[in-house]
Amino acid sequence: MPEDILVDIRRDYVLSKLRDGERIDGRKLDEFRKIEIKTNVIEKAEGSALVKLGDTQVMVGIKMQPGEPYPDTPDRGVIITNAELVPLASPTFEPGPPDEGSIELARVVDRGIRESKAINLEKLCIEEGEKVWIIFIDIHALDDDGNLMDASALAAISALLTTTVPAEKFELGDDYPLPVRNLPVSVTSLLVGERILVDPTRDEMSVGNNFVTMITDQDDNFVGMQKSGTFLLSEEKFYELMDVSIEKARQIREILKDI
Amino acid sequence: MSEKSEKRVIVMPGDLVSTNPRAAGYGTYVENGKVYARVLGLLDKTDTSVRIIPLNGKYVPSPNDVVIGIVREVAGNGWVVDINCPYQAFLPAQENPECRPGKKANDVLDIGDAIIAKVVSIDPKMKVTLTMKDRVCRPIRFGRIVAINPARVPRVIGKKGSMIKLLKSELGIQIVVGQNGLVWISGDRRKVNIAEEAIYIIESEAHTEGLTDRITEFVKRRKEELEKEGTRNG
Amino acid sequence: MEELKLIMDGKRLDGRGFDELRPIKIEVGVLKRADGSCYLEMGRNKVMAAVYGPREVHPKHLADPSKAIVRYRYNMAPFSVEERKRPGPDRRSVEISKVSREALETIIMTEMFPRSAVDIFVEILQADAGSRTACLNAASVALVDAGIPMKGIVTSVAVAKVDGQIVLDPMKEEDNYGEADMPFAFVIRNGKIESIALLQMDGNMTRDEVKQGLELAKKGAMEIYQLQREAIMKKYRTEEEEE
Repeated sequence: MPEDILVDIRRDYVLSKLRDGERIDGRKLDEFRKIEIKTNVIEKAEGSALVKLGDTQVMVGIKMQPGEPYPDTPDRGVIITNAELVPLASPTFEPGPPDEGSIELARVVDRGIRESKAINLEKLCIEEGEKVWIIFIDIHALDDDGNLMDASALAAISALLTTTVPAEKFELGDDYPLPVRNLPVSVTSLLVGERILVDPTRDEMSVGNNFVTMITDQDDNFVGMQKSGTFLLSEEKFYELMDVSIEKARQIREILKDI
Repeated sequence: MSEKSEKRVIVMPGDLVSTNPRAAGYGTYVENGKVYARVLGLLDKTDTSVRIIPLNGKYVPSPNDVVIGIVREVAGNGWVVDINCPYQAFLPAQENPECRPGKKANDVLDIGDAIIAKVVSIDPKMKVTLTMKDRVCRPIRFGRIVAINPARVPRVIGKKGSMIKLLKSELGIQIVVGQNGLVWISGDRRKVNIAEEAIYIIESEAHTEGLTDRITEFVKRRKEELEKEGTRNG
Repeated sequence: MEELKLIMDGKRLDGRGFDELRPIKIEVGVLKRADGSCYLEMGRNKVMAAVYGPREVHPKHLADPSKAIVRYRYNMAPFSVEERKRPGPDRRSVEISKVSREALETIIMTEMFPRSAVDIFVEILQADAGSRTACLNAASVALVDAGIPMKGIVTSVAVAKVDGQIVLDPMKEEDNYGEADMPFAFVIRNGKIESIALLQMDGNMTRDEVKQGLELAKKGAMEIYQLQREAIMKKYRTEEEEE
């Protein structure tokens, strides 16, 4: 990925503010940016959501179609998650096959939805062993101002909450809402020295790619974690991150409940 | 095992080797006032210094090192030389005494030619510059080059060159050891064979003791065998 | 579907206690061409790690003027699993390669070798649960064997939640049917665990269970570290005995 020169210029500013315990946009260390969620923004998709996390924008579209189940889960629907970091979203994104960044993004988002059992996959069986519903979760980054991870996770669950199973289209009976039964929420933090910055912006990310993502479900249990970046994490920070992630996720889950 | 006699302690990256940061030497690093090993190697510790003699690792050029290299490319103003390290080296035309006006670069040295050269400098961009303006430097047109693990070079040279002196005087041959793990040996073919075998022994047993004695014995025995053969055949 | 019992009478399917590792075998310096290498078995995992470098970077534009770049390739052989795996990297191995590389990059002193590359290749010849941890353990040993300057050693192990119980170093069945899987890698310096270099988790665990898992993983990692250390020392001791 080509270096973005502005990143270097912002680094010193971010660090000098942080020395006084302040963030450049005036947020508290554990404060998320403003979250806006718009759902059903794409009529042709079975479900969709546009999430704005500050200036970061991610669109997720859900498409569904009947297909073959996995041999080891013949009676369950299938989730396939994919992420595209299109060049439109950042000067550092390049066209081409998914790189490790977008693969990691898609896989961590997928983990949260899968492991929280957010979708009742048993209800997506059409004919055991033969035909089940396949859910394609496609993450499309539109503007990367940092923390695409949480924005994508939020957009994915929001889109799923508004998804209608298109049974009529495939002559499989009446359409029905996708059975969603849990609300996984991803909280990503940037570690800068001893400090934990929740929901980092692009400028803040210029000080180093040191992230931990923790995903919790509605019972405050952990369903996914990912340390990303070349840095060492102390046990102490690990526990601190768990606490902050639970707390922040609770707040965000309240927003999701309104969808 | 010889650990009892002289205590050859092998350390691993991260092992604490001293609490005196001023003693920190080669193969160590200091963090929070403590000295740790950064490579696998033999601990060499005195009251005032602690260093690690690596058991493995790549050669990294440093000024004044004698190296042996192979010409990989001929350019208008010099030669690109492979010196068996992470960085390619450059020998500028003016650093080769054989260069005369009117003589083409590839008539002096061509692709595939081996040379003994000296490192002049390594700049922050890791550009390595060589020279051949030194008594030891020369193009290699005869003899043999053998390759060993660069980390074992100090042992092959021996304390103050003792090991090499031993081989040279016992066998009556020429040897130049490149710091980059390439060794040039020249002389009677059969004696060169003995030297090559000896060098491999030194390489593989570099971390053991009594090596000089064993090598002396080995060379003498092989020489005797050679002489016996000689008289039988003659 | 009948529930598969993963824990019976306080023992796991393979007879292990909750805090026991699978058998581990480590051999150092097993490849001639590589600068450093290691063969490792952990349970039924059989993995081979090779380290090349520091060496010239190809393609050249990838070189970093301030430090060595580290590349890590986690690759499963087509015959390593029950059903033949399509050769080449899939999404899972791309992700594993990324987090593994990042874990090792934290200890490699890359600033000593600007514009060069340290390449770490790990081939999974036979896959079992916890292959990424087995690979990291092998890679770490191969790096030491290659003489790469490092601040310490990386040691990796996973913990899992199985029938509500936190267990060390899960086997295949526990990985497939358990409630959670949490792989760790630690940096060990001077015989002590200093920090977390790799952290992933999927499944469902409470805060207390995560804490319990970390403690168990640390215990397991210390045991593996001892084996890594012994294996490295053994290579050089054997050379001495050959005299």
